[in-house]
Amino acid sequence: MNMKRREAVVAAILWLATGVAGAAGPAPTCLISGKEKPASVCAAHTKTISATCFICHGPNGKSVAAIPGLAGQDKDYLVTAMREFRDGKRESTVMQKYALGYTDSEYEAIAAFFAAIK
Amino acid sequence: MTLHRRDFLKIAGAGLAASLLAKPAFSATRSKPHVVVVGAGFGGATCAKYLRLWDPNIQVTLIEPNDKFYSCPMSNWVIGGLRNMDDLTKSYEHLPGYGIKMVKDTAIGVDADWRVVTTRRGKKIAYDRLVLAPGIEFMTDLVEGYAEGEAAGKVLHAWKAGPQTLALRKQLEAMPDGGVFVIASPPPPGRCVSGPYERASLVAHYFKQHKPRSKIIMLDGHIDVVSKGPMFKAAWKQFYPGMIEHRPNNQVVKVDHKTMVVTSEFEDVKADVINIVPKQRAGDICAQAGVRADSAGVWCPVNGATFESPTVPFVHVLGDSVATNMPKSAHVSNNQAKICAAALVELFNGREPDPYPVIGSTSYSATSDHTAGPIAVVMRHDPEKGTYVRQPGGGASPEGDEINFEYNKAWFEHIWADTLG
Repeated sequence: MNMKRREAVVAAILWLATGVAGAAGPAPTCLISGKEKPASVCAAHTKTISATCFICHGPNGKSVAAIPGLAGQDKDYLVTAMREFRDGKRESTVMQKYALGYTDSEYEAIAAFFAAIK
Repeated sequence: MTLHRRDFLKIAGAGLAASLLAKPAFSATRSKPHVVVVGAGFGGATCAKYLRLWDPNIQVTLIEPNDKFYSCPMSNWVIGGLRNMDDLTKSYEHLPGYGIKMVKDTAIGVDADWRVVTTRRGKKIAYDRLVLAPGIEFMTDLVEGYAEGEAAGKVLHAWKAGPQTLALRKQLEAMPDGGVFVIASPPPPGRCVSGPYERASLVAHYFKQHKPRSKIIMLDGHIDVVSKGPMFKAAWKQFYPGMIEHRPNNQVVKVDHKTMVVTSEFEDVKADVINIVPKQRAGDICAQAGVRADSAGVWCPVNGATFESPTVPFVHVLGDSVATNMPKSAHVSNNQAKICAAALVELFNGREPDPYPVIGSTSYSATSDHTAGPIAVVMRHDPEKGTYVRQPGGGASPEGDEINFEYNKAWFEHIWADTLG
């Protein structure tokens, strides 16, 4: 492996491990609210919109009370639930109000976040 | 520290220039940034905790004068006799485990040029970023006789949980059957807009069981039951017919604790127990820092993406002290704290904070010992408008029920665990 490639691999690993762009290569980008931004912006967005859920559903989505937990739930199940809440196909007390305030791509991001928690 | 600070000023001065975004985020020589958080409530404690969780390189000092945390959410349950003080008294014991340095003291001064906080005990604490989450203070001078009545223990706000919560409960217990409980709430904006209506409901629940000839008179500075109105009105009719008199547009201007008369703009009301919630403003430390800077000098304007003051760099404000169209609630404070913490992590690492954060706001109110209902709304930050915009679909449940009473209890447990656990 030559030096340049090794640097690129190290940068990629750093990126994966920390969400921080390494020095080599163009920084990855993402689309948020119709604007192209560094991927770190979308990562931060996903982090805070997911952490919002902790208040009702328990820290990291781990519930100890009547509101259902989210941690370790199947991603597709969570996305489908949000869509059904939004469309009024699934009964809810507050979740329809929440589902109407978030986008489909945010459903995906939040669902992936909680599915990854063991 | 000096090197880092200079580095930091450069970042701040240049805003979010692309050259700085390309700057390596890691540096062996980089010192650890220091955030000082003032106030360990739902805003401050959450911010301190998530700063440490999301970037252990950030040093966090949390200044808080109280030994224990008294939760405003659930305090109406204590006043109504559903729970006791132990249930809403929480420990700060878990916070040091996150690497947060707790300082038991009161912040009394801020030098925003030198970035130093002064405490009552004479400590000077330097910061790279300061987060002010002091909660509210009362403008008691707007109600003639309030200060004297409070000093005599005859006029209570019980709008900060703690000793006054218990004192109000004891006064209601000592009140004879057939007595009059006056609860007065100020015009908006203030802490917990639905709180007075929940308080009336749960005191009525207590009276109905133990003092059924008693009355509750609400002198309300709002134009109506402005939060969860249909739910509260339905509950009052169903559970407590004739017990609660709601008198809107009725701001209290005077109280005489010797004659126990409360005077509004329109009438004098004789009371046995007096609960007046005065108008509020951001805590004094915000004025000391120069950030209590809205047009009335009452609340603190912030940049919605970072919660930084637009006029005093490196000073951020969270919770009830913020000048905002968001409800002043525990739920919102916790959410703001996470957005601020995430933004600080990005800034300290030379990256752009999320310009489009989203805040969800949920608030439950109990209407009896087995029914409650929520209001919920999602707000998205619009950097061009410089404000959070309410998304369609939000609103309140038209009536309380048993499942939401269970959810209300779960919400208590989870927000306490998320903030302090």
